[in-house]
Amino acid sequence: MSTEAALVLHQVGKIFPGQGRQGGITALDSLDLEIRRGEFVAVVGPSGCGKSTLIDLLAGFTRPTCGSIMTGSRPVSGPGPDRVVVFQDHAVLPWYTALGNVAYGLRRQGVPKGEAKRRAREALVRVGLEEFLHAHPAALSGGMRQRVALARAMVLNPEILLLDEPFAALDAVTRARLQDELTVLWQEFGWTVIFVTHTLAEAVYLADRVVVLERPPAGLRGIETIDLPRPRRRRDGRIIACTEHLDARLSGGLDELDGETCICARL
Amino acid sequence: MMFFPQALSTALRPGGGSLSRPVWGISAAVFGIGLWQLVAWLVTTRRGVPFPTPIECLWVLRNLLMGAVFLEHSIYHHLQVSLVRWAEGFGIGLGAGLFYTLIAGWWRPVRLLTMPTVEVLQVVPGLAWIPVAILLFGLNQTATVAMIAVTAFPAVAIAGVMGVQSVDRRYVRAGRMCGAGPLSLFATVFLPGALPHLLSGLRIALGAAWRVLVAAEMIVGSGDGLGYAIIQSRWTMDYVSAFVCIAIIALFGLGLERLVLAPLERRTVRRWGLSHEH
Repeated sequence: MSTEAALVLHQVGKIFPGQGRQGGITALDSLDLEIRRGEFVAVVGPSGCGKSTLIDLLAGFTRPTCGSIMTGSRPVSGPGPDRVVVFQDHAVLPWYTALGNVAYGLRRQGVPKGEAKRRAREALVRVGLEEFLHAHPAALSGGMRQRVALARAMVLNPEILLLDEPFAALDAVTRARLQDELTVLWQEFGWTVIFVTHTLAEAVYLADRVVVLERPPAGLRGIETIDLPRPRRRRDGRIIACTEHLDARLSGGLDELDGETCICARL
Repeated sequence: MMFFPQALSTALRPGGGSLSRPVWGISAAVFGIGLWQLVAWLVTTRRGVPFPTPIECLWVLRNLLMGAVFLEHSIYHHLQVSLVRWAEGFGIGLGAGLFYTLIAGWWRPVRLLTMPTVEVLQVVPGLAWIPVAILLFGLNQTATVAMIAVTAFPAVAIAGVMGVQSVDRRYVRAGRMCGAGPLSLFATVFLPGALPHLLSGLRIALGAAWRVLVAAEMIVGSGDGLGYAIIQSRWTMDYVSAFVCIAIIALFGLGLERLVLAPLERRTVRRWGLSHEH
């Protein structure tokens, strides 16, 4: 893993205009964050802490009210295939087949039809959907649709992969399987991953670093480095201890959490 | 359901209960034609005027199909000119409606500025355009085609704009994330996403255009076409032929729904799992 920064957020804030005479709603307040190339970062926090807002900003769907977001040397100015999002509700297009959905991004990039189809097929085989190439999303289960979304992201070969609570709506078995598949794909393709979740255990199990957000004005509460070897096991005592430790700190005195820590490795 | 006996409530369920689809189809045809026969019998006995029966009409239809000359032309000619007028008018209305959807769906100011006018067009009955069309184009085919177009347009346009607005924001984001530009986004996200609404609009537009066509042919006086044939049969007291023309119009409308719209809906909206009512 190189130490070069893939994403740099400087004093990023987002205020949504309020309704009527109410003032604006602050979703994010002066957030500073640096994410290294190839790093797997999980973002946790309660609802309303700005996790999804952060993903929207990084993807370029919305513009920050203040501050700057840089990928490499370029500022984020709009959505693009270098920063692909896997949405919680997958957002796979219902009118295309699994193959059509995965080929869609490539076609928009000007890849010829045959080539796009071939690469889309490869990606779908990679996520275990070779038997469902021509199925429409309506005929697929939630887990399969999320796999299509993952294949759609994978085939675009993004620098940064943004996942917004991607497995929250899935059952426990499917969730666990997809977590492991994601880990394998990440190690193989070397993406920079930002994974938003509200499950602490998921964050600790998957990530190199866990970013803890609080509702504004508190904002960024701390960054915990999960310095555990891979492949990891869910039942690993260190993972469980680390999750419990973070959980205790989150529910207890938040003041302790400020700053960048690496306590879990010493547990 | 407590008011219905079990068997009846089963039969009333949308799935059709225990009978198979073809049986229901035949039963429905027998019902409709039986009703016609009943009315014909009642009118003939009570009012003492001969009301065309299904059998008489079938006989005349056979003659016409075999090429009998009817009002200086064959029935095929009447049907064909009507279809061409309808297709021209509907095609123009549909194309304009989709183009409007593109413009108004994309630019909010355009939508706010023009939508009320389109809505006014929507509530004007197609036939009310007759004086306007005659004023604009004179007593000719163009007037008929224009009336059909102006009737089909608002139904498609309003459904299209509503459909575009109903498209889930997540799909738009997914499209933009994959690098789709405005036109590409319209073709690959907004148009298919609007299809449930567009199909409803298309149904309304098809029916309205067909009705206006027949009425326009009656009044604008074209000299041929099914509407002209119906109104002309009245002067020659040839009510059976008028009924045959009405039956052809009805069958054509039914065929359009069964052979074009319903399969289109099955292959798109239903397969995509997009419900019709949102």
